[in-house]
Amino acid sequence: MIGLPVAFVAPLALIGLLALPVIWLLLRVTPPRPERTPFPPLRLLLDIERRDETPARTPWWLLLLRLAVAGLACLAFAGPIWNPAPAGEGGKAPMLVMLDDGWAAAPDWDKRIAFAASAIEAAGRRGAPVALMVLSEGAREPTLADSAHTLDALRAKKPQPYAPARLAALPAIESFAQAHKGAGALWIADGLEAGDARAFAEKLAHLFGASLDFASEDRLPLALAGARNEAQGLIARVLRASPASAAAGRVRASDMKGQTLAEAPFVFQKGNEAEAKIDLPVELRNDVARLDIIGEKSAGAVSLLDDRWKRRRVGLVSGASADVAQPLLAPNYYLSKALGPYADVREARADATDPIGALIDDGVDVLVLSDMAIGAPDVREKLDKFLAEGGVLVRFAGTRLAGSQDDLTPVQLRRSGRVLGGALSWETPKKLGPFDEKSPFAGLAAPDDVTVLRQVLAEPEPGLPARTWAQLADHTPLVTAERRGKGLLVLFHITADTTWSNLPISGLFPEMLRRIVALSGAAAHTAPAEEELSSTDAPQKAETFAPNRTLDGFGAFGAPPGNARALAAGFRGAGSADHPPGFYGPSDALVAVNALEPDANLAAADLSGISARRATIEQAQPIDLRAPLIACVFMLLLADALASLWLGGGLRGFRARRASAAVAVLATLGALAFHAGDARAQNAPPPAQQPGAPTQRDIDAALVTRLAYVVTGDPRADEASKAGLQSLSRTLAERTSLTPGDPVGVDPARDELVFYPMLYWPISATRPQPTAAAVQKIAAYMKQGGMIVFDTRDALTQRPGGPPTPEQSWLRKLLEGVDVPELEPVPRDHVVTKTFYLIDGFIGRTANGQTWIEALPPETPDTANRPARAGDSVSPIVIASNDLAAAWAGDRYGEGRYPLVPGGARQRELALRGGVNLVMYTLTGNYKADQVHVRDLLNRLGH
Amino acid sequence: MTTGARLIDPNESAAAPQSRQIALDLARRLPAVVVAAKEIAASILHGVHGRRRAGSGETFWQFRPFTSGEAAARIDWRRSARDDRLYVREREWEAAHTLWLWMDLSPSMGFVSDLALQPKVDRALTLGLAAADLLVRGGERVGLLGLSRALATRDIVDRLAEILAVEAGLTREHDDLPPAQALAPRTRAILIGDFLVAPDTFADRLRTLSSRGASGQILMIADPVEETFPFAGHVEFLDVDSNATLRVGRAESWRAEYERRLAAHRARIADIARAHDFTFVVHRTDRPASEALLALRARLEAGSVYGAIA
Repeated sequence: MIGLPVAFVAPLALIGLLALPVIWLLLRVTPPRPERTPFPPLRLLLDIERRDETPARTPWWLLLLRLAVAGLACLAFAGPIWNPAPAGEGGKAPMLVMLDDGWAAAPDWDKRIAFAASAIEAAGRRGAPVALMVLSEGAREPTLADSAHTLDALRAKKPQPYAPARLAALPAIESFAQAHKGAGALWIADGLEAGDARAFAEKLAHLFGASLDFASEDRLPLALAGARNEAQGLIARVLRASPASAAAGRVRASDMKGQTLAEAPFVFQKGNEAEAKIDLPVELRNDVARLDIIGEKSAGAVSLLDDRWKRRRVGLVSGASADVAQPLLAPNYYLSKALGPYADVREARADATDPIGALIDDGVDVLVLSDMAIGAPDVREKLDKFLAEGGVLVRFAGTRLAGSQDDLTPVQLRRSGRVLGGALSWETPKKLGPFDEKSPFAGLAAPDDVTVLRQVLAEPEPGLPARTWAQLADHTPLVTAERRGKGLLVLFHITADTTWSNLPISGLFPEMLRRIVALSGAAAHTAPAEEELSSTDAPQKAETFAPNRTLDGFGAFGAPPGNARALAAGFRGAGSADHPPGFYGPSDALVAVNALEPDANLAAADLSGISARRATIEQAQPIDLRAPLIACVFMLLLADALASLWLGGGLRGFRARRASAAVAVLATLGALAFHAGDARAQNAPPPAQQPGAPTQRDIDAALVTRLAYVVTGDPRADEASKAGLQSLSRTLAERTSLTPGDPVGVDPARDELVFYPMLYWPISATRPQPTAAAVQKIAAYMKQGGMIVFDTRDALTQRPGGPPTPEQSWLRKLLEGVDVPELEPVPRDHVVTKTFYLIDGFIGRTANGQTWIEALPPETPDTANRPARAGDSVSPIVIASNDLAAAWAGDRYGEGRYPLVPGGARQRELALRGGVNLVMYTLTGNYKADQVHVRDLLNRLGH
Repeated sequence: MTTGARLIDPNESAAAPQSRQIALDLARRLPAVVVAAKEIAASILHGVHGRRRAGSGETFWQFRPFTSGEAAARIDWRRSARDDRLYVREREWEAAHTLWLWMDLSPSMGFVSDLALQPKVDRALTLGLAAADLLVRGGERVGLLGLSRALATRDIVDRLAEILAVEAGLTREHDDLPPAQALAPRTRAILIGDFLVAPDTFADRLRTLSSRGASGQILMIADPVEETFPFAGHVEFLDVDSNATLRVGRAESWRAEYERRLAAHRARIADIARAHDFTFVVHRTDRPASEALLALRARLEAGSVYGAIA
């Protein structure tokens, strides 16, 4: 249609629009059904002679409605298509459709297929034969066929998980172009430069000249490359080809079974590279086998991780005595700096009696011993076992090793070091020689400025060169290694600090360590390769890994295709047709191959300056307007029926609101039908309120330290608790640096207790016991470091040796489900009696009751004479019986609210002091038991 | 223009249940009418003027000596105990007026439009029963014409409603004119209906009624739609009592003619009524029922004969 991207399948049906004026006339003269109404006095009128009168005309709006129905029906029958596929030019000349089918085409593969299909259909309408060519099958000669066959072939195509090698397809295209002069060509490009897009396009322009079409997508795909497992997390590089692509997204990490472990966001700031950091504990991070960009369905958006990405645990043990003050002299400093970025470095605790055993028990993969002689037989046994089970033991030489009779080395050592360039040497410091091809360090550049001043020397013996991983320029072995069982024993003939060589401060040092650490995981399955490495005379045997599971173009795992070939050991490269991305090798030692190289970058194809017609895949989505039009006609017909009913009085039976409801329902149904055609569910569920979200009360409680009491349900006890804690809070604010918030009453069954340092719990024997869940919460609160002050308030009723009072029984029953430590009456030297005031006991409304607290550890000679003793932590429980809160409670003027026994202002003051001490004890723990306070305490106690 | 005019369902009317649910429907509908009738009657009773109420029929007249042969039950033992003779208590002899009530229950009375407060038949029943209540309390006896004898009970409204309900259940076709029976001399009749009948038939029937000297009131109930003819456009009119239909292309052009004919019909009916010593009142269902009752009462008391529109 003119100006609109609309085409009609059956334009002849539009002739029906000519009938609209006729319909208009007919509708005008045939009015709607008259309103029928009963009319009792009708007989008065019956005998009036019939006048010849034209009935009232159809209302204009009804006329319009019906005309619209007729017009829309005509349009619908004409089969309108919005955005019709371009018919293409070229008449009956054959056409070649070239389809990029690399991973970059996968995210919008359906659209590409649809676009190609529409182009092929258009060619079919012209009667032109079409040849289809997917560029990954470059060598295959394109054959012409009619559009129906080509469509079938097209629908069977799937994207490949690697970048297409377009240039390989050029000979076939060239021969096609020569065979069919004047043929048209359409290249549906994935938009990336990878695969020589520019050169390919230039060649196409040369071959096809003016009859060349390019189609591409504005939104270029994202890709993942080169994940790094660093100390702070698993870092994934997210790449994009142009800023037009998505600016943010999420990366998902999943394990070998496909379970999602974590997700992390990424945002492109500037440039075409972003990082997503997956923050997981190392143990979980090592389980990550696959990273993918959520929402990007392509093999390029998947990064597979194998053992090489696992973070090793490296244990460091140094023979040198720990000197924290001078770290630059400690070998462990250099080692941990060098290993830190890609491994978890653990050092034995300074006071550990058996650091090696402790680290091995800790499960390290690599154990680094720097300048340490191994003397004790049990340590030696442990190390042997460690090696036999596949551990990697790296040793650094030093004066201690050089002087010891230690044979846990890959080679025999001469028992004296070699000093180069020293005052007693004729030789200058030696430089590093190049690394041997078979060495794990192969490929690393040996910098010139690395010199070795001193080293331990290996005894010349057969097989020494095979065990040498690195050597000096004069072929003196510098790093030697040997397989021991499943494990590996590596010896650096120099120290790990800078006293013998400056290698530890060169950039080469971390790389070397990294290669060694990487060997640790692969130690088990690369054993044959290592043997080969250590025996030069063994026949060269190519180690290969059969494909295990490979990715398809959409990034989903599947069985490897037939053309996937086994991977040579040491393969480091991107996936290709021979080696599609995926996992190779046996299930317990998989090797990952990714679609992109670790340091790859995405670049958009630059096709400027090449003469070809360009189309966008996105725009070319033809929409069939027939369904919405028919839905529209249907709705208008419904409206017309309703209107006719209304005009004819047929809606009389309806109540007005019922009718309007019916209209609303019909409209909704119509709207649903209208949208059903291209319903794409893209409604994200609204963020749901999390069930565990903190309440306002919890937020308040967390912001201000406050005292809390348990609401027992006994109104008198609760009132006393509240007033008492208010009074105590006031006293604390006046006398100490703590300004607590208003005290709150809590219900252990319902409220979160973790915010309150101290809970005051008056026992009311008449109240029911809390539920089991509440008791569990109480127990957890006590375990987490909270303190509960139970107050049985029964000092007046309990008798020594008598039966337990009801409150005591109640409390015992409550504490049955709680892990209560051993208790004792508060001793005179307990720190709780010294935390703020020096008090003798906890006095409340009564003064004679006993107060119980967690028993202190037995006195040691060291602590015997101290004025204050404390355990390691705050007692989780204090059981008082003196009704503390009632004694604390005072009115605004500081006068007590409850009578005290025996009474007096002094008793109230002492009660408050006890309360202050309790709170201070809760908050400061054993601080006052520290030695530094002893003098002050003794001074004050003396007075 | 839609007037919302319709015929109420037969079962919807107060006195015309056609099915086995007679009792149920009446129970549902009659109380409202009965209550409305009582309320209106009470408001009229207290609203217009006070009335001497004492002594109608129950008052003591005299004691007379017992004559032998009389029924012993008539002896007033309390009086007789005072001396040696037996006495009989005699009451005042009361002769009340008799009024006959007739309400049109024909299908055309079931008409109600959006402008009306209630269907014509409901309004007729309300007015009739209210008038009965009013009259009985005023000492008259009231009966349903052709259906019951004249009664003077205190629960006259309920009694008449019951009779109407039974009648409505028995009869399917209700005549749109009162039964042709000659009323006794000096009795009065209250005829309530729409009287959309041929004037000659009406004249015949009225002549029969009043042939022995009875007089009365005619209360014509009309729906406002019937008066104003607010139709426009293409309308098909359906007759209520017959199957006749009338399709009108432009209803608004018929209004003037209809109003003329309606006025003529009313004038005719009023003339006939006057000729037979009946008063004639037109009442529209968009007016309150008490208005019509007040007019009715005034006519009954005055006994004068003139037409008015209430």
